[in-house]
Amino acid sequence: MSYFNNIGTAISTLWEGMKVTMGYLVRARDYVTLQYPDEVWPVPSRNIGVGDIDTYNVVRSKLHVNMNDCIGCKQCERACPVDCIKIDTIKGEKGEDLGTTSNGTAIKLLTYNFTIDMTECMYCDLCTFPCPEDCIFMTPDYQFLTADAVKTEITPEERWRDRDHLIYQFATVPQEEVDRRLAAQEAAKAAKLAAAAKAQAAKPNVDIPLKGIDTPAGAPSVAKPETPNDPVPPETGGKTAPEPPEGESHG
Amino acid sequence: MITSLANWLLSLDFLSGLGYWTAWGTSLFVVGTLIFIFIALNALILVYVERKVSAFMQVRLGPMRVGPMGTLQTVADALKLLVKEDIIPALADKLLFRVGPFVILVASVVTFAAIPFSEKLLAADMNIGLFYVVSISSIVVLGIVMSGWASNNKWSLYGAMRSAAQIISYEIPVGITLLAVVAVVGSLNMQTIIHAQAGTGNLFYWIPLPLPNWYIFHNPFLFLATFIYIIGATAEVNRVPFDIPESESELVAGFMTEYSGLRWALFFLSEYANATLIAFITAIVFLGGWQSPFADHRGAQIAVSILTGLAILWTLFIRLKAQRLSIYPLALGIIVTLSAWLFPGFAIWLASPGLFWMLMKVAAIIFLLMWFRWTFPRLRVDQLMYISWKVILPISLINLMGVAIWLWLTGDIQF
Repeated sequence: MSYFNNIGTAISTLWEGMKVTMGYLVRARDYVTLQYPDEVWPVPSRNIGVGDIDTYNVVRSKLHVNMNDCIGCKQCERACPVDCIKIDTIKGEKGEDLGTTSNGTAIKLLTYNFTIDMTECMYCDLCTFPCPEDCIFMTPDYQFLTADAVKTEITPEERWRDRDHLIYQFATVPQEEVDRRLAAQEAAKAAKLAAAAKAQAAKPNVDIPLKGIDTPAGAPSVAKPETPNDPVPPETGGKTAPEPPEGESHG
Repeated sequence: MITSLANWLLSLDFLSGLGYWTAWGTSLFVVGTLIFIFIALNALILVYVERKVSAFMQVRLGPMRVGPMGTLQTVADALKLLVKEDIIPALADKLLFRVGPFVILVASVVTFAAIPFSEKLLAADMNIGLFYVVSISSIVVLGIVMSGWASNNKWSLYGAMRSAAQIISYEIPVGITLLAVVAVVGSLNMQTIIHAQAGTGNLFYWIPLPLPNWYIFHNPFLFLATFIYIIGATAEVNRVPFDIPESESELVAGFMTEYSGLRWALFFLSEYANATLIAFITAIVFLGGWQSPFADHRGAQIAVSILTGLAILWTLFIRLKAQRLSIYPLALGIIVTLSAWLFPGFAIWLASPGLFWMLMKVAAIIFLLMWFRWTFPRLRVDQLMYISWKVILPISLINLMGVAIWLWLTGDIQF
């Protein structure tokens, strides 16, 4: 008798199972599959109450910098625990207007390099807090992959993979502009050095015979600027003599 | 079809110089190619359908990216398989390894020679058609054992041995079940079997429910035999839940483990060809083959209306249970009903036998097989043998006896 019960149980349970799958088949529109590249889940936008939800979103997926507001203070770079932010700035030229931030702060430094390496970023959000202009913030954009990403083999030797496509450059200053300014800065510095050297060169003209004796090379020229206010006159009488002209040049 | 094609070739004036055997060879080649094309296209479509059906049963979407709704997915897969590297293991038996898939495929394809697609459309009208199909399809096991043995792999060998044991076990109940139908018809010819199921009659001879004269409704024993045949045939073609020869969670892929590329594609092709074959045999033997389920166009109109009405009631019932339901089947039913009443020609076409009904029945049975596949868990080897020898075989024997007694009682045959 258990033989027939067994068969009966088998048939009824199989029929139960078939009803379940058929139920899902006819309700096929209840699927939960997301066609990922075409449709994505909305990223939850959570505001913890600081600032505007558009600019201050605690969903940490990707750093973004609003370069119009950046004053190049490098506070984020210093705050970053993993040093994934690199900033280089250059002083604006004399009298140049580099604009103002949306907070009204005048920008004094031209930020020509602002890179964030998203392969190193650990999404701690520590860089966004010190920013005085609120220009660096986390965005909910989690789709970083680009078609031109270079794929390299992952071997112990290849641990440092190519990650150029994940290092983001935010500064938009054109390269020739940067070159020009750097060159100008270098030139200014060189000119200043040259002027100083010239002044230095002009100074020993007074006492040529002494130069070769007690002050060789350019060492005294560096030490010089610190000495002018020294109340105690140096032992060499020759050195005190050129002091006035240098003080004039400073003035 | 082979004979008529050969005769037609011989009757053409500009081919009058053609010898008899040339004409025969040409027709054989043409018909064989047509059958192979049918099988290949059929596999392409069935793979897609199976993936979609399984996806919907598991609340997924299935292939969606290649072509509209993923319809070209199988084409892409087939192309990938064609260009894949053909790997032969170093210690394999090279000859048997190469021959195995072809034996399986040939055994699957050759059986279609006896399958009637419609009243006119069949390759060869054999007087022993059913016997031919059953016997030739058993050659598949030879190819499976060949491949499994030649792979020189423990999983392949296990798979092949399991397959041999399984197919040999299930051949017996399947054969006896088909024998019950042969006892009713008195012929092994496929066309005779289908012709014998024409018209409509009472359910089980006495119950006054007008149903088509198919053998599934002929008597209670054959009704049971239909399901026994489907179970046994599913086991014979190694489909889930009887897929222990290639049980992927135990044996990697069974006898297909070492195969790749085109040879693996041949296994796949033959798998779907076999599934189609048992659907065809079930349709021919138990469901009236290419016969229409309706007696005449009036019957077609009424039957379609009743079915659509039931579908509407069912949909309403499901809707009351607050479940979202696909409305396409219902919409199709309503369209068919309206067309049947508005255009009598459509109703007449519905009531006439033909290729359409054959393919519809085959599609329904293949869907049933897919339904099995994505519902049932795999059986253990001992459970498989238990079902074959202790359940299905006794029942099929009792069935055969029951059919004989039924025929004697109803006076269809005299002893």
